[in-house]
Formats: sequence, structure tokens, C-alpha cells
Amino acid sequence: MNLVGLWTLCRRELRRTFRIINQVVWPPLIATVLFLTVFVIGLGRAVGEMEGLPYVAFLLPGLMFMQIVETSFGESAASLFILRFTGSIQELLVAPLSRLEMVLGLLSGTILRALLIAGLVLGVGLLVGAPYGASAPVHPLGLVGLVILLAVCFASLGLLMGLAAESFDQMSIPQTFLVTPLVYTAGVFLSVHQAGLPAPLALISRFNPMTPMVDMLRWAVTGHAALPVGQGFAIVGGLATCALLGVTAVFRSGWKLQH
Amino acid sequence: MPGVRLDSPRQPGGARSCATPTSPQARLDEVRGRHLTTPAVRIAGLVKRYGTLEAVRGLDLDVPEGEFFGLLGPNGAGKTTTLSCLVGLTLPTAGRLEVHGADVVRDPRRARAAIGLAPQEYNFDRYLTVRETLVYSAGYFGIPPRTCAERADDLLRRFDLWDKRDGEVQKMSGGMKRRLTIARALIHRPRVLVLDEPTAGVDVELRFALWSMLRALSSDEGLTIILTTHYLEEAEQLCSRIGIMREGRILALAPTRDLTGEGERQILEVTYAAVPDSVPDAAWPGLLWDGARRQARVGDLTPAQVPACLAVLSALGTVARVDLRHRSLQDVFLELTTRQPAPEATP
Repeated sequence: MNLVGLWTLCRRELRRTFRIINQVVWPPLIATVLFLTVFVIGLGRAVGEMEGLPYVAFLLPGLMFMQIVETSFGESAASLFILRFTGSIQELLVAPLSRLEMVLGLLSGTILRALLIAGLVLGVGLLVGAPYGASAPVHPLGLVGLVILLAVCFASLGLLMGLAAESFDQMSIPQTFLVTPLVYTAGVFLSVHQAGLPAPLALISRFNPMTPMVDMLRWAVTGHAALPVGQGFAIVGGLATCALLGVTAVFRSGWKLQH
Repeated sequence: MPGVRLDSPRQPGGARSCATPTSPQARLDEVRGRHLTTPAVRIAGLVKRYGTLEAVRGLDLDVPEGEFFGLLGPNGAGKTTTLSCLVGLTLPTAGRLEVHGADVVRDPRRARAAIGLAPQEYNFDRYLTVRETLVYSAGYFGIPPRTCAERADDLLRRFDLWDKRDGEVQKMSGGMKRRLTIARALIHRPRVLVLDEPTAGVDVELRFALWSMLRALSSDEGLTIILTTHYLEEAEQLCSRIGIMREGRILALAPTRDLTGEGERQILEVTYAAVPDSVPDAAWPGLLWDGARRQARVGDLTPAQVPACLAVLSALGTVARVDLRHRSLQDVFLELTTRQPAPEATP
């Protein structure tokens, strides 16, 4: 196995992240501060508690999830698309890197970026939200494991998007019409288990694959989960595995890579 | 530009073999000895189809180690497709490609470690500096970080890019980008270098500098070089053997001096004051008639044949002008690619 090549590809992803730090690192932090300001400081007293948690403690894992999805899906898709768009993907294709090594190299860079963003969002969230009831993660190792699984899942889907897209306009289609609606109906801002939720929203949330992901992140940060933890981890791990196997199979087929 | 030398045997991953000779002469002797065994590049029965389009049609080619080989042809002849198959960018439909005995499809890791590609189009990673471009490229080939840095610095100095090492690639001139492209192709010390139109779009001064650099790589280090170019003079100056392609097949494959007749073959062009009554094709073997220019042309003449041919052509009409010149690679190229129907099978 070309471990040096794999690590180089991982470093290249991180290099890209810090070359475009204003696009990748600062926006999630600013968005987190703004969400917390509006929803917790502005409206928090009106909301009170959600699923037995102070609203800030309920909201913070959801905000982390939003940013993990963005940095994993959007950025991995953009990174691969630009490699294809500029032709620099050829540099990887003529190197002695297997397709699996290419996928793992790109994913490992995304995982490190997701851990960084999740850590920064958590730090900012605690800084702003501590006076309102936010506290340090109850299950830190579980949180790290979940961030990795989520990054693998969404980065794999992002790589598929980066392969499939033929233009920057096409790149925005799944983000706009699929990922963002799913994120907003997965229980990020409000409990999907509360009584009185409109029936269509309750139905979408129930079958939304992102709902157990948000729930597990909430468990890792607050210790509270609606789903049994084992079941939640099985769903998140299963989805991440499927996405990883899918993107590896597509890379190995040479689709959009080798003519 | 300083001369370019690779001062150690090329080993994937940067390892040096104790058994490998280190002096250039010993290296060349070793290279010449290998000619009789495994070629640096072997292509057998290569076919590449894109849907109904057959870009390469059963191409066979051996390139011995240390050779400077030129692959020529008009646009769409199949040159770039052939090279893309060789470096692993394109999957062949049929046939076998080997680089130093390693099958490009079945053993891609070993084949790719032995070959370096300098593509025609600039395809640099936009997020990396000039030095990082070389360091990361070496890393993809599995070369340890410390060795990557040493090799990158060495190549930056040799290719006169040291002062630009921390700059953005996008802001460099075309000539600098071209040099960086070649330096990047050499970072893992390949045994075969593939150059796809390496001097396209560069000025005359840089073209001559690149020629000098490529000659040094070939003659001093015994590097096998495969070159495609639209500049026929470039191929004539650099390549010891040339293949001319058209419609996915090789029409001619011979040492450069044989193709051009070592400067002894001549072309006779006779321009008439008025269009002659008749210009029979059989007047002289290979006679070509250009009605628009009122010109009869016979290529590939020995000096001894010229007077007789001139006498035959002069008898056809009133001669306005006679031109006699040596046969160049351009003449051969044009004869093969524009005036002769494509043959049915690869020679």
C-alpha cells in the first residue's frame, strides 16, 4: 500500500482548507455564533427547554451537525470537482495510487477537516452558550467517533457529487434541493418527537436518514438520546459504510476518471 | 538554462541499488546492453475505441531503453490516445502495453513508477506553490517527505525556478510553467519520460533551451524519451527514431536519418509557364501534379537521378522555374499524412 501517497493526498486536502480558510473555516464559526445569538440569546427564554434540555444544549449538537455536513459534503465535492475541472486529477491518476488509496486519502483529509470544524464550533458554542446552559460533551470519545462516521458518510457522497457534476451549477443542485431540506427537518432546531408537530413534517423527519445522526450527536454532547444508542450507532455506521463502499466501487470502475 | 542531470539511478521511492552503476558511462553501457532484452516500452496490438470511433487501430511499437523516440501525426491521428493508454489515463479496448516489463493495466503500480508524464496542457494544483507542486507530486509516488524536499530543491535549481519556489504557479510565465511541467515529470526519477508537445506555445529562445535540456537528459543519463510534437523540425533535431501516425495506425517507423535519406534524398519541383497539354503520372515514378500552381513535383530522388528527371519534366512544357532541395522530415510527413490513402493494416 502506498501510505506515503495516501498521506500526501490527505495533506493536500488540509493545504487546500487553509488556502481557502475564509471559505471553509470562518463561515461555520460565524454562522454558529449568529444562530446561537438569535435562537438562544434572542428567543431562548421563549422556547425554554426542548426534550428536557436547556435550548442551547439541545441546539448546539444540531449546529455542529450542520457544519459537519457542509464541510464534509460540500467541500469534498468542490475539491474533487476542481481537481477534475483543472485537470490536476491527472497527477493522481498517473501516480502509483490505487483507487482505494485515492478515496482514503481524500476522505482522511476531510475527516481531519471535519474534526477541526466540529471542535471549533463546539468551542465557540460553549463560549457563547455556557451562561445559558451549554456544557462540555458527556461522551467525548463517542463524539469523535460520530464526527468521523459522519465525515466518511457525507464526504463519500460529496466525492460522488464531485465526480458526477459537469458544472459548478450542477454542483449546487443536491445541496440546495436535497441536503439542506434534510438537514432542516432532522431535528436540528426543534424536537421531531414533540407533540403537535405538523403531520407532514413529522413524517419526513421520521424517515429522514439524518434524524438519527443528529440524535446521536446530541447523545454524545448531552447524554440525552431519543433512540437507543446501539441502534443509533448501527444506523450511522451502516450509512457511512454504504457510502464508503459505494464511492470506492465508483472510483474503481473508473467512471469520469479514466476514459 | 543550466544543463539538466539526474545524478543517481532512477528507483521508485528513491532507493539506490548497490548493484546499479552510478557513472553516466556505466549507466549508458548498461542501457545499451539491455537493448537486446526488454524494451523500455512495448505496445502490442493496441486498440482504443470511443463508441464507434476507433482512435487507435492495432498499434505495435517497441521503444528500446535510452532511445529518443518521436511520435508524429496530424490532429486526431491517435498520438495522445496512445500516450494516454501508456501512462494509465485511458483504458485500452484491446492490446497490451508494458513499461520496463510491467503491464500498464495488470501491474499499474510498477508501470507508473517507471514512467513520467509531461502533458501538453498545464494541470497544476491551484492550491500549491511552485515548490509544493514538486514536493506533493513526489509524495503521490510514495517518496518519503525528506527525499521529496531534497529532490524538489534540486530540480528547482536545475530548471532555473529556484527564485520562484514560493510563488503561485498560476502567476508564472508560460515558459516557467513548461519547465515546471517537465521537472514534475522527473521528480520520481522515471526511466521513461513522455512529453506531449512540450514546446507548444513557447518562444523560440525557450524552445532551444528546452531542446538542450532534453538532449542532456537523453544523452547523458540514458533516459528513454517519447515525444509528440507538431514541430517537425523539433522531432528531426531531437529524435533518433520517428513513427508517423495517421488514423490510428503507424504509417512509417524508422530512424530519423532513414526517413529523410540522411540529407541525400532530394525533391525536384518544376513550375511551368503555362499548363502543359498533358502530365502523365507515368512520366516519372511518384510524380505529383499541382494544377493550381502549374507545378510538377518529384520527391525522394538520388542526386544521380536528378538530371534525368529534370529532362523528362522539361519535355512536358515551357519551364518557368526549377527548384531542387533536400528532402526534409516535413516532406515525408506531408507525403504520408496528406497525399497517400491510409493503408488497411499497420506495417
